[in-house]
Amino acid sequence: MLEIIFIGLSVGSILLLVALGLAITYGAMGVINMAHGEMVMLGAYTTVMAGIWLHLGFLASIPLAFVVTALVGLAIERVVVRRLYGRLLDTLLATWGIAILLQQAVRLEFGLSFFGKHIRGLGPGLQNVTVPPALTGAIMVGGEDVNVYRLFIIGVTAALTALTWFIMYRTDIGIQVRAIMRNPRMAAACGVNVQRINALTFAYGSGLAGIAGVMMSGFKTVFPDMGTSMVVDGFLVVVVGGVGSLLGAVFSAGLLGQVDGSVASLTNDVLARAVVFGLVILIIVIRPTGLFSFKGR
Amino acid sequence: MTIQRRLDYLCYAIFIVAILLVPLLLGDFWINRMSKFLVYGMLGVAVSLCWGYAGILNLGQGLFFGAGAYMLAMSLKLLSNTSMQQGSDTPVPDFMLWNAQPGAPTELCCINHGSWLWLPFQSQWFGILMGILLPVTLALILGLIVFRKRIAGVFVSIITLALVLLVRLVLIDAQPLTNGFNGLTDLGTLTILGYQFDAYGLGTYYLIAVSLALVLIGARMLVETRAGLILQAIRDDQNRVRYLGFDVPVYQLFFFTVSAGIAGYAGMLYVVAAEFASPTFMDLAYSITMVVWAAVGGRASLLGACIGAILINIVAATVSETQSFMEAWKAVIGLVFVLVVLYLPRGLAGLASDIGERIEARAAARAATGSQAAAMVAASRRAP
Repeated sequence: MLEIIFIGLSVGSILLLVALGLAITYGAMGVINMAHGEMVMLGAYTTVMAGIWLHLGFLASIPLAFVVTALVGLAIERVVVRRLYGRLLDTLLATWGIAILLQQAVRLEFGLSFFGKHIRGLGPGLQNVTVPPALTGAIMVGGEDVNVYRLFIIGVTAALTALTWFIMYRTDIGIQVRAIMRNPRMAAACGVNVQRINALTFAYGSGLAGIAGVMMSGFKTVFPDMGTSMVVDGFLVVVVGGVGSLLGAVFSAGLLGQVDGSVASLTNDVLARAVVFGLVILIIVIRPTGLFSFKGR
Repeated sequence: MTIQRRLDYLCYAIFIVAILLVPLLLGDFWINRMSKFLVYGMLGVAVSLCWGYAGILNLGQGLFFGAGAYMLAMSLKLLSNTSMQQGSDTPVPDFMLWNAQPGAPTELCCINHGSWLWLPFQSQWFGILMGILLPVTLALILGLIVFRKRIAGVFVSIITLALVLLVRLVLIDAQPLTNGFNGLTDLGTLTILGYQFDAYGLGTYYLIAVSLALVLIGARMLVETRAGLILQAIRDDQNRVRYLGFDVPVYQLFFFTVSAGIAGYAGMLYVVAAEFASPTFMDLAYSITMVVWAAVGGRASLLGACIGAILINIVAATVSETQSFMEAWKAVIGLVFVLVVLYLPRGLAGLASDIGERIEARAAARAATGSQAAAMVAASRRAP
C-alpha cells in the first residue's frame, strides 16, 4: 500500500514539475504554450550536452538548463507570443508550430547535418545521462524499499513549488503577476509594466520546464519527441486544478498521479493513462473551471 | 448576388472541375496519392465547418476519422484472403489466429473474449453503415454533454483532445480485438454492385473526388441556410444569440455532428485508398495536423481549408522525395504555421479574398470615375 502511494507521489511530482511552468504561463498570460514540452526536451538535451562538452555533472547542469530554457522561452515570447495576447486558441496553434520547429532543429542539429557537420549529443538518436551514484539505489523507509532518485525528484519538485509560491505571493513581481492574472488592462492602468512582467513570467515558466527536463533525463531516455506527451499531461493537470491556481495544480497533480500509480499497479500502464484521461474529461465536464478557481472580475 | 459571392461560386466550380480532370495528367502512383490527398481535403472541410463556422476547435477530429476508418476496415479485413481459408466456416482475421490460446475454437464467435463483436462486420454494408453511424453517435453524445453544460472555447479542445488519446489507448490495449499498434492491414477490396474499388485505380479516385465535391457543395449549402447564419452568430457572440431566444446548443450540436459525420466518411474513404487502418489516426499530432491544414488554407472558408489540406500534402509529397529534405520539411511546416498564425490568420483563402476585394474596389472606382467623367461631359454639353 505504502509503495503504491509512493509511486503515485513520484508520478504526481513529475506531473507537477511539468505543469508548474504551464500553470503560471497559462494562468497569468492566457497563453497555451504547446512548446512547453519542448522546453523539457531542451532541458534534457542541455544536460546531455553539458556532460559531453563541458564535463559538467548532473547536478551542475540544473542551473544551466534553467538559464538556457529561460532564454529560449524569452526569445519565443519576444518574437511570437507577444503578438498573440488575447487570442488563446491562436497561441495554441502558433506554439505548436514552434514545438515542431524546435524538435526538428534538435533532430537536424540546427541544420548543420546538411553541411556534413555533426554535433555530438544531438541528432535523432537516443541519449542517456548518468546520475551521480549518491542518487541511485534504494533506501529503506518504514519497512519499504524506496528509490532514492524518485525521492530526489519529489524533493526538487517540493522545493521548486515552494520557490514559485514564494515568488508569486511574497515578492513585488509576484503581486504584479497576480494583478495581471486578474485583469491585465487594469494592472497596466495601475502602472504595472505588463509586457515586461509577461516576458519574465514566460521565461521563468520555461526555465521550470528546463529543470523538469534535467530530472527526466535521469530516468528516461532523451530523444527529440520526448516533450509531446508531457505537454498534454501538463495541460490536463492545469485545467483540472483550475486556471491560475497554484494550489489547484499541486492538488490535481497529486490526484492524477495517485490515480495513475494505483491503476497502473492493478492493471497496466496503458489502461492507467486511459483512466486518467477519462477522469480528466469527467472533471472538466462537471467543473469546467477546474477544482480550485478564483472568481474572475 | 454580389461579385464576391459570384467569384466564390466560380472558385468552387473551378476546383470541382479540376479534381475531376486531374487524373488525365497522372500515372497510377500519383492517382493513388491524389486520392488520399482529396480525403485530407475532406477532413479540411470537416475542420473548417467545426472550427471556422461553429467556433469549436476540435483537437480530436482524428477520433471521428479513426472511428470511420476502423469500422470499414473491420469489414474489409473479413473479406481479405488471409481471413478466409483458415479451416473455419466463417472468415477469421489472421492476427486473432496468431494470438489465439491453444485449443481455442477457430470461429469468429468465440476465438477470444469479445471477438463476437466482429460478427456483424461479416456484412460489408454493416461496416459502411457503422462508419457513419459510430462517429455521428459519438459526436452526438459528446456534444450533448459539452454544449448543454455550456462548455466553450479551450475547454472543448481539451476534452476532445483527452478523449481521442483515451480512445487511442483503449484501442491499443484491446490488442486481441484490434491488433493494437499494428492496426488492421492486409484488407480486402471494397466491392459495390460488382465493381471492385482498387486502391490504385481510377474508380477509387472518382469515388473520392465525387464524394468530396458533394461534401463541399453540401457543406456550403448548409452554412448558407438560416441555421448556418445563426451558427456563425453563435461563433461571434454566444450570449447575445442566446438572449435573442435561440437554442444555442442545438445548433452547435447539429454542426458538430455533421462535421464528425464528414470526418467519419473521410476515414472510410481513406481506408479504401490507403488499405489500412491504424491507431496513428488517433495520434494527437495527426489531429493537430488537420487543424494546421485548415488554418493554412483558411479556417473560415470551406474551400480554402480543403485546398490548404491538399496543397500542403502535395508539396510535402514532392519535397520529401529528396531524402535530405524530408526531415527539414517538417521544420518548414512548423515555420509556415507560425507565420500563418501571425501574419495570415485567415489563411490563403483570406489572402485570396483580400485580393478579390481589392480588384473589385478598383473596378468600382474605375466605373465611378468613368461615370463621373461622363456626367461632366453631359453637364458641359448641356451648358450653352
